[in-house]
Amino acid sequence: MRLTVLLKLAMRSVGRNTRRSALTAVAIALGLALLVFSRSLAEGAYDEMIDSGVRMGSGHIAIQAPEYLATGKLEHRLEGKEVRIASKAVDDVLKESLLAWAPRLSVNGLASSTAGAVPVRIEGVDPERERIFSNIEGKLQEGRYLEAGDRLHAYIGTELAQRLDLQVGNRFVLTAQSALGDVEGQLVRVAGIFQTGIPQVDQSLIHIPIDTAREWLHTPDAASTLAFLLNQSGLTDIGVETLQQELENEPKIRVLGWRESSPELAAAIRLDSTGNYIFHSILLAIIALAILNAMMISVLGRRREFGVLRAMGLTAAETGLVVFLEGLFLTAASGVAGITAGLLFTWGFFRDGLDFSIFMEEGVEFGGSLMDPVIIPRFSVEQILISTFVIVTIGTLSSLYPALRTSKLDVAEAIKFEQ
Amino acid sequence: MRKTAVRTTDVWKIYPQEPDPVEAVRGVSLQVETGDFVAMAGPSGSGKTTMLNLIGGLTRPSRGGIWIGDREITEMSDKALAQLRLERIGFVFQSYNLLPVLTALENAEFTLLLRGVAKDERRRKVLELFHKIGLEGLEERKPGKLSGGQQQRVAVARAVVADPALILADEPTANLDSTASSDLLDVMEQLNRDQGTTFLFSTHDPRVMERSRRLITLVDGQIESDKRRNHFSGSP
Repeated sequence: MRLTVLLKLAMRSVGRNTRRSALTAVAIALGLALLVFSRSLAEGAYDEMIDSGVRMGSGHIAIQAPEYLATGKLEHRLEGKEVRIASKAVDDVLKESLLAWAPRLSVNGLASSTAGAVPVRIEGVDPERERIFSNIEGKLQEGRYLEAGDRLHAYIGTELAQRLDLQVGNRFVLTAQSALGDVEGQLVRVAGIFQTGIPQVDQSLIHIPIDTAREWLHTPDAASTLAFLLNQSGLTDIGVETLQQELENEPKIRVLGWRESSPELAAAIRLDSTGNYIFHSILLAIIALAILNAMMISVLGRRREFGVLRAMGLTAAETGLVVFLEGLFLTAASGVAGITAGLLFTWGFFRDGLDFSIFMEEGVEFGGSLMDPVIIPRFSVEQILISTFVIVTIGTLSSLYPALRTSKLDVAEAIKFEQ
Repeated sequence: MRKTAVRTTDVWKIYPQEPDPVEAVRGVSLQVETGDFVAMAGPSGSGKTTMLNLIGGLTRPSRGGIWIGDREITEMSDKALAQLRLERIGFVFQSYNLLPVLTALENAEFTLLLRGVAKDERRRKVLELFHKIGLEGLEERKPGKLSGGQQQRVAVARAVVADPALILADEPTANLDSTASSDLLDVMEQLNRDQGTTFLFSTHDPRVMERSRRLITLVDGQIESDKRRNHFSGSP
C-alpha cells in the first residue's frame, strides 16, 4: 500500500516540472538513439568486415594441419585421408549451417616474367567452389576468373601484373619448393586480372587451379586449408567447438575459427570495438550526468517537501525511495523513447545501407580485408537487451546519490528551507 | 483526571557551532494535558520552533526526556519515530507545506493513505472535514490554485483528519491576513472542542495567544512564564 503511495508521488513529481523533465528526457533519449544508431552501424560494419575477410581468407571455420597457421608451409598440409575425414565430419555436423566450402593448396613462391621476379602467395583453388565462396571474382578488372577445366591459367592482381608487365593471355613462370623438396617451376597464362584495393593482396596473390597445383607440387589430393563459410558468422564458435569434438581423435587435423585463422581481422575489429566502447562509455557518462543533474536540481529544490513527508510519517528510506523511483521513471521513459527512436531512425533512413563512398570511394582495407563503403546497420536482440540493461543500470546508479542525500536530510532544517 | 499528551523534562538542544555552541533550548520542562489548546510564545530565536521539532521527533534533544502520551521518544529509532508521527502527531507549518503534486483532497488524505485506510473511508472523512472547515468545492485544486488561507486550512485538515492525539502548529497564522487567521483559529478551536484534539502552537501572533487556553512564554530557550487563561471558549 505504502509503495503504491510512493510510486504515485514519484510519478507525479516527474510530471510536475514538465519542462525540466522533458529536457532531461530528450537529452537521454537523443543520447540513447545515437548509441543505438552507432552500435547498429558498428555491428553492420563488423559483419561486412567479417564477411569480406572470411571470404578472402579462410572462411568462418578453417581446417588445417596443426602447424600450418604458424608456418604457412607446404609441408604442413592435410593429406588426402585427412581431407576426406574432415569433409565427412563437416558434412555430419555442419551441413545445415554451411553456405559454401572450398579447398585450397597454398605455397609461397616466386612469379617471374621477362620484366622481373616477385615473391608471391600461390593458391591452388577449385574454381567452381571458389566462385561461390570468395568474392574475388567480383574484383575482376580484365579477362575472366578461373573455370572448371582450366589447367595452366592464373588469376593475378593488378599490381603484380604491372610489376611483371603482364596482360591477359601473357605467360609467366611460378617457382616454388615442391613436396619433394625440389624447387620446381610451372608455366601459367594470365586468365584474368583483379583489383581488391588491398595492396598486399593485389601484388602477391595468385589463384591457379588446385589440380595444377597438386600435380606441380607433388601433393595429390592434399590441401593446405579447407575453408568453410557459414550462413551466420555467429555460429562460428559453436561450429568450431562441435567440429573439434568430432575430430578430437585426429591429431593431424586442427579446427580454427576465423578469429584464429585471420588474427589481423580479429585484432582490427577488437581495436575498433574498443574505440567504440570508449565512445559509448563517454556517451553513457553524459547521459548519467544528465540524469544526476536533473535529479539533484529536483532534490535540492524540494528539501522542504521531503522534510514534510518525513514529518508526516514517511521513513528516511521511503523518502529516498521516492527520489530513486523518480529517477527510474525518468530513465525508463526516456530509455524506451531513445531506443525506439534509435531503431526507427536507423531502420527508417538507413535500412538499405549508409553510403560512405564519399570518404572511402571503392572501400577501405581493414584488418586485411576490404570493407564495402556501403554499410548496412544491423540490429540484434542482444544489442537492444544490452542497451536496455545499460540504461536501467545508469538510471539506477544516477538516482542512488540523490536518493541517498534525500534520505539523510535533517528534517527540522529541511522544513525551514525556503523554496 | 486528564491524561498527559506531552511531557518534557529538562530538555536541552545545543547546536555545536564555532566558536561557541548555540543553546536553542535550555532545560525546558513542561506538561501538556490531552485536549488542551496551548500557545508557546516568545520572540524570534526564543526556541519555540525547536521545542515543537523536539516534541514532534523531528530533531533529537541534546539531553533530557520527552514523552508523547506514555511513550519516551528520545531513544526511539528513526523508523519508530516516523511511525509515531504517523499515528499520533499532526503538523501544521507556517508555510503550509502542502505537497504541490497532489490535489487539496489528496493532500488532506495523505496521512490516511499512509496508514492504509480504505479509499471510501478516506474520502468520507476528508469530505466531512472539508465541509466542516469550509473547503467544499476545492477538493480537486492543486495547492498553487488555492489562497494562503485555503492552503493552511488544507494543511490543518491534513493534520487532523487521522485523529492524532496531538497537533503541533508552528506559526500557523504567520502568513495569513487577519480574516484568514481568525477563520483558521475558529476551525482549530472547533476541532479542539468537537474532537478533543490537543493543540500546541508556537506563535508570536497576539490573536493566537489571545485565543489559547494556556500561554507558555519562552525567552532564550527557557520558560519565562506559563499562564493558564480563563476566557477560552474551547474544549473544557
